[in-house]
Amino acid sequence: MAYMTNPLATPDQIFHKNSLDSLPTELRDAVFFSTQCLTQAAGILLQLPQSVTAQANVLVARFWLIEPMMSHEFSDVSAAALYLTAKIGPCPCTPRDLSNVYAYLLSKSSTFLPSPNSSLPKNIPDDYYQSETSYQAFHSRVLSLEHLILCSLSFDTTVTLPHPLAITYLQSMDFLNFPKEKITRRVVEYLNTALLSPQMLYLTTQPNGLAVAAIYNAAKDLGAKMPECEWWEVFDVDREDLGFLVVGMRSLEGWAEDMKGDGVLGKRKLGGMITRKDVKEILGSNESQQEEEDPELAMARRMDEKMREIEGGTA
Amino acid sequence: MSSKGKSRWADDEEDAAREAQLKKEKEEKKRLKAEKARKLEAERKAREAAAREQQPPPEESPNGPPSKRRRVSHEPESSTPQNGAPPETTNPSNLLRFNGGTFSRARSVENYDKLNDIEEGAYGWVSRARCLSTSKIVALKRLKTDPKDRSGLPVTGLREIQILRNSSHRNIVPLLEVVVSDSTTPLDPSIFLVLEFLEHDLKSILEDMPEPFLASEVKTLLLQLCSGVAYLHDNWILHRDLKTSNLLLNNRGQLKIADFGMSRYVGDPPPKLTQLVVTLWYRAPELLLGATTYDSAIDIWSIGCIFGELLTREPLLQGRNEVDELTQIFELCGLPSEETWPTFRRLPNARGLRLPSNPTPGSTTSRIRAKFPLLTSAGVQLFNSLLALDPGRRPTAKEVLEHEYFKQDPKPKQEAMFPTFPSKAGQERRRKRETPNAPARGQKAADLGAVDFSGIFAGREREERGGGFALRMV
Repeated sequence: MAYMTNPLATPDQIFHKNSLDSLPTELRDAVFFSTQCLTQAAGILLQLPQSVTAQANVLVARFWLIEPMMSHEFSDVSAAALYLTAKIGPCPCTPRDLSNVYAYLLSKSSTFLPSPNSSLPKNIPDDYYQSETSYQAFHSRVLSLEHLILCSLSFDTTVTLPHPLAITYLQSMDFLNFPKEKITRRVVEYLNTALLSPQMLYLTTQPNGLAVAAIYNAAKDLGAKMPECEWWEVFDVDREDLGFLVVGMRSLEGWAEDMKGDGVLGKRKLGGMITRKDVKEILGSNESQQEEEDPELAMARRMDEKMREIEGGTA
Repeated sequence: MSSKGKSRWADDEEDAAREAQLKKEKEEKKRLKAEKARKLEAERKAREAAAREQQPPPEESPNGPPSKRRRVSHEPESSTPQNGAPPETTNPSNLLRFNGGTFSRARSVENYDKLNDIEEGAYGWVSRARCLSTSKIVALKRLKTDPKDRSGLPVTGLREIQILRNSSHRNIVPLLEVVVSDSTTPLDPSIFLVLEFLEHDLKSILEDMPEPFLASEVKTLLLQLCSGVAYLHDNWILHRDLKTSNLLLNNRGQLKIADFGMSRYVGDPPPKLTQLVVTLWYRAPELLLGATTYDSAIDIWSIGCIFGELLTREPLLQGRNEVDELTQIFELCGLPSEETWPTFRRLPNARGLRLPSNPTPGSTTSRIRAKFPLLTSAGVQLFNSLLALDPGRRPTAKEVLEHEYFKQDPKPKQEAMFPTFPSKAGQERRRKRETPNAPARGQKAADLGAVDFSGIFAGREREERGGGFALRMV
């Protein structure tokens, strides 16, 4: 059954996610969405298969139900998850490539999540030049986060993606008598979009549910004719779950537009990846800032110690 | 004992009455159950009919998502799980519920009380420990990590965890959980695999046995090994380090495959794989000759080596290095020829091999028959096929399970009837390891260079010997 199922979040974990770190839901969702988008962008630039990047997305989502979001820089969590899934998958990526890609995506020159008010940034290579020190620091952060992610998830890195199941289901329904490529593309688009949803659909539903909901949505969009019986029951999905998933998948696009327009992301002065600093500014409270500072400083100190150790070792 | 001489177990009227009573109760229950089922069925049908009239088909709802739950589907289901019975598959509205478990933070190793060390291998050390909450005895295997390694946690360790987590078979050692040390500074991680504890490994049993395993016992062990390997291969896993010290045995005669530090998932067509796998003495000839695409047949070769070791208590092919190993293989199995292994000339390291130009008759045939005179001909046939030089001619693990050898007398011994052995792992004694270790990741594979095998069969006719006597056959 390992190839059909995923470990799911318990109701308790979902219920307590906001008490992990007292972020307002809106802000939390914005960070979640931006980080998932960042992972996808990095996956594309690193030429990783979507199966690897999607697994990283799911691991990040699981990780943030165990660890407070604010205890590590969001982009580092994304990088560490991607590094980990690439490593255990068929096409590992080198820390150097990873570092370069993230440096670019986080720089002012990148076109990642541009601000709606200003024009697209100019490409200035100096913006994303990585010095040896910053590379080493990034690398150390990724390694320690890799370990933390694994510990937080009990070393269970299994992520079963619904994509292959969806294809199988489509085949069994003869692609709903629709051009194969078109409908499959739409289904895969829905499945990939669902990865970004702060509703964490991949942590609350088994892959068969996601596959069926994506097929349902794609068929609706394209006007393909679905069987007239309750075909989803053949794939062990009940009507209520299907309804919830269908709405969840469809609502994401509008929600993301709103957020980039008047929402959390749109209100910022500059575009690009949201950082912990941004979040703290938005929260605007000095007290919480002081509290958050401590673990970060401790981490930075440990990194420095490690750096010295390494340099001492090689010298 | 009563003086009447009547046994206390004899039937009397009382027993008969009780039996009748029980029978009656049973029938009553049966009747009620049937009635209930009938009622439920009728109810369900009525509801379905009603619903069909009330509810429009979902395709007609305008905005795509079906807005309301249909009441048709789930009433019968909610009444069944009371007694914990799985939903019947015949009922179309009973859906299969997938359960993938949950995820949570790894527990601390402090939940276990370390008892004694068992062994230290190439991939970490293993110790015996007791779980504090359940008092269960487990084996703790520490993953070797190198804080100086800038690629992070070793991918072999992560693969081992991944594969063990996904595997569940009675002949594969179960992974209970993964725990970490409490004092985890993020830069010096200690990771422990909590595995089921088994009292022995086959290697140390074989070393200490005064007499070899009986034929019936060898069959049972081999069957268990092959059924575990068949499961792995069915799931696209290559073990890549099968050897007797990685096979564990408990006191109930159950064999389990352990140490997945070299194993990995493969696909079809096979990906490019590292050729430096499997401990030298169990390494297949195609690996020694530098093949980079190989398949499950390398595990089958190792099974063949283990078969020989079970029969004699001695590792079958104890080469001192790659060339010597290959020499020993050719001495046992015969030199490769166009008939026995048509493709071997194409392997990278085969270029430098110099084989006798006109081989003496018999130098290309296997000597297994002569070396194992006590084995039945079915046994020899199986042995020969496991150690076929051409990987394409080795049987699959599944085919081995069906082999004639296991159907012949003596029949495989029942596991429960297995002898027990004093456990080294359970006592406070460290094992010494004499087998060479599995090759380390990233090492360079040996290039055999030019090797001359032309002389290895020079004096072969002289050493042909008979089987001698043996009284213990069963």
